[in-house]
Amino acid sequence: MMAIRSSFVASIVLSCLVATCYGVTFSSLQRTLVVTASPQQGQVLKGGEDTITLTWSLNTTFPTGTDSTYHTVKFMLCYAPFSQKDRAWRRTEDNLEKDKTCQHKIVTMPYASSNNNFTWTVQKDVPTATYFVRGYVLNSHDEEVAYGQTTDSNKVNNLFQIESISGRHVSLDIASVCFSAFSVVSLFGFFFLEKRKAQASAAK
Amino acid sequence: MADHISTFSISHNEPTQTNNYKFDLPVDSEHKAKTLKILSFAQPHMRSFHLAWISFFTCFISTFAAAPLVPIIRDTLDLTRSDIGNAGVASVSGSIFSRLVMGVICDLVGPRYGCAVLNLLTAPVVFSIAFVSSAEGYLVVRFMIGFSLATFVSCQYWTSIMFNSSIIGTVNGVAGGWGDMGGGVTQLLMPFLFHIIKVSGATPFTAWRIAFFIPGFLHIIIGVMVLTMGQDMPDGNLSALQKKGDVAKDKFSKVLKHAVTNYRTWVFFLLYGFSMGVELCINNVIAEYFYDRFNLKLHTAGIIAATFGMANFFARPLGGYASDIAARKFGMRGRLWILWIVQTLGGVFCIWLGRASTLPIAITSMILFSIGAQAACGATYGIIPFVSRRSLGIISGLTGAGGNFGGGLIQLIFFSTTKFSTATGLTYMGIMAVACTIPVAFIHFPQWGSMFIPGSKNGKYTEESYYSSEWNEEEKEKGLHHGSLKFAENSRSERGKRQEIESAVTPPGYATPEHV
Repeated sequence: MMAIRSSFVASIVLSCLVATCYGVTFSSLQRTLVVTASPQQGQVLKGGEDTITLTWSLNTTFPTGTDSTYHTVKFMLCYAPFSQKDRAWRRTEDNLEKDKTCQHKIVTMPYASSNNNFTWTVQKDVPTATYFVRGYVLNSHDEEVAYGQTTDSNKVNNLFQIESISGRHVSLDIASVCFSAFSVVSLFGFFFLEKRKAQASAAK
Repeated sequence: MADHISTFSISHNEPTQTNNYKFDLPVDSEHKAKTLKILSFAQPHMRSFHLAWISFFTCFISTFAAAPLVPIIRDTLDLTRSDIGNAGVASVSGSIFSRLVMGVICDLVGPRYGCAVLNLLTAPVVFSIAFVSSAEGYLVVRFMIGFSLATFVSCQYWTSIMFNSSIIGTVNGVAGGWGDMGGGVTQLLMPFLFHIIKVSGATPFTAWRIAFFIPGFLHIIIGVMVLTMGQDMPDGNLSALQKKGDVAKDKFSKVLKHAVTNYRTWVFFLLYGFSMGVELCINNVIAEYFYDRFNLKLHTAGIIAATFGMANFFARPLGGYASDIAARKFGMRGRLWILWIVQTLGGVFCIWLGRASTLPIAITSMILFSIGAQAACGATYGIIPFVSRRSLGIISGLTGAGGNFGGGLIQLIFFSTTKFSTATGLTYMGIMAVACTIPVAFIHFPQWGSMFIPGSKNGKYTEESYYSSEWNEEEKEKGLHHGSLKFAENSRSERGKRQEIESAVTPPGYATPEHV
């Protein structure tokens, strides 16, 4: 028992060392967390207004001791494949340092194996896209050791949409019209003024 | 007259003429200035110089203002790769047409109105970014802001009218280079404005819209300044001079005909596409290239992109200056050789950039490439004022349009496809630039020669015969060609030192006194 345990710990340490050399890859992570989010499949949430409620816990089918190194959990809003198409700045890479799938942080909380939830208001800088939620489990060195997500491994089910704010404001629209009018009026005003001056001097 | 401190003065070695009491700088028979006093704002020459380059600078800022903010704009408007690429091509395509129109406008109503109208009408378009909420809207706005790049033509036309031909390479180079620098400055200015506005409390998707208001204000300010402080020609404004009869009013069809039938116009249309066109294209792709290929932070890639544009501060004037220096000894032939050398070198360094696989080499080759391409732009406009006097505006405009056309075409062929990488695209672009610079050898002036053929030795072809050939007998009877004759006389410097003795003799039939 002790031999299995110590070799297990040794392999974890070794893989951590290996990970720090090459960067943690997503394929090396175990999906030990069960994550659910409040939005239904296909639901549209409004940026700045609507909320997402997350609940998560450790998947009990895994052997005890799996979560011995788990320290914190970091939840991110991640792009579904539909929103990654033609957008290389959101591409999925196995090396987590280069991966751009998940760009919006929801919350970071200390790890507990059950009874967890969090409610988050969708921030105003989240773009219009199709999303799912993923939680990375970090050890005390802030390295990813496991994960959980609301969708399946092909990222097909249980996706939801967020509609961002437009960033437009009535005050901005009005300012835009006013300054534009000023510009055009000064141009034509000047033109007519010069024409009048020229006519006046020609009349002399 | 107060003595101005000049840290940058270029003068052509000629027996000094009596200073016309009206002017702050020494002038020639057309009242064009023979020196450039950078720190002066005196009417009319230096003030026009500063108004010209600043108005062009402002337009470069707003045309490329979106580029460094693309990461935030693409999230606001849900843009795809092709949306972004198309908007980039659109931003430089609009001015293909507007540069032609501006050339005509300058020939007909003067550079001051051309410049001011464009700035004051671009301001509303820039402000309209507040309303954009889709990829289509974004493309249309960038396309229309791009029209403002036509101020390049009014800028170069204005300086060509105000400054003597012996220093025109340098003057056009400085004005053009400092204007082009706007493309680099904007890569630093817009993120800075965005950051400040965000810190003041605005959400990101609103902050970038507010940031665009600053270039809009700049347009209004410079437009009003041009109208109130600018002057078309050394002796006054064009409409006033035309009414007085000092300057002849020309017919558009004639001006167009002489531009279009001059083969040199089309050679320059092609050539400029591979100096300025390359530069415009790079302004749109370089930040992303460094970001992707060398995994830099977007911030760092932006600084490198800015470096490329800012090199214009000295690189383009350097090209113009080299052109002028070569002209002193070798005349027009020297100018043509300088153009060929720097533009080919630019292409070679571009090939090197495409093949660079380490960051230090990439940055080195990019800097050398930028110097080559931008100096080539300066050298081109050291020659353009001599191609025609009657149709200077349209030819200036056509060449400028060629630059934009080349830029859009290059971006479409090499940087909008997934068939090969951006690095390979850069290599191919460099090869094409080298190949398309060869036509410089075909530019031949009968009175001055070309790269491989000397000018006419026995006085068979002269400056006067070249420039008056643009007018027919009827027009010559009316004396409409006198402006061209004056210019011809002043352009004799393009013969270079070796032929100075021949040039001292005024050809028979052209009674223009050489010295006052």
